[in-house]
Amino acid sequence: MAIENEIRRLRFENGEMTQQALAEKVGVTRQTIIAIEQNKYAPSLEAAFRIANAFSVPLESVFRWKDG
Amino acid sequence: MSFREKSAWVSLITYGVVFGGYFFTLWQAWDESYAQGLSIGLMVGAVVALIIVAIVLNTVIALFHPRTANAPADERETAIDLKAERIASYTLSIGVIFLIGALLIGWNAFLVANLLLASMVVSELVKALAQIAYFRTA
Repeated sequence: MAIENEIRRLRFENGEMTQQALAEKVGVTRQTIIAIEQNKYAPSLEAAFRIANAFSVPLESVFRWKDG
Repeated sequence: MSFREKSAWVSLITYGVVFGGYFFTLWQAWDESYAQGLSIGLMVGAVVALIIVAIVLNTVIALFHPRTANAPADERETAIDLKAERIASYTLSIGVIFLIGALLIGWNAFLVANLLLASMVVSELVKALAQIAYFRTA
């Protein structure tokens, strides 16, 4: 997948936030957070903003486009 | 495993067992006059059994997922549902087109009715399998 993310690192830096806690903040299931974190599923723009908002960082600090 | 993946497993198992039993019984009793009389009662029984088993199993898995059982599907689950539904609709369409042809060349209406039911069951099985595959990989 061409989109990579820093969710694992950001969860660690936010007091080892659990996937369940992040899922509840974003309004998706834990399985969806797992799929996003493992780059198996590209979230919608709205979900991406919600994830960035959960960590209080800009969108580009969470997701980046991988060339090639 | 999420509530919706378990629900897809419930759908796969209930459709497989209930209608597997229905078609196996009908196939074993295949004598047109006898089977036609048997079929209506069997079909009603299969539908009632399907509803009861599905309600019971979904209630059981909902008890293990109190938070997510009543929550609306999230965007990934909705996308998976739509993709699985599309594959199932292709499956059903192929069956229906084939059976229209079968009716036009004079196949027995009772046989065609049961093959139509089989097409619907197969499309539901395909949908459940596709959902499970997408939940595992996407």
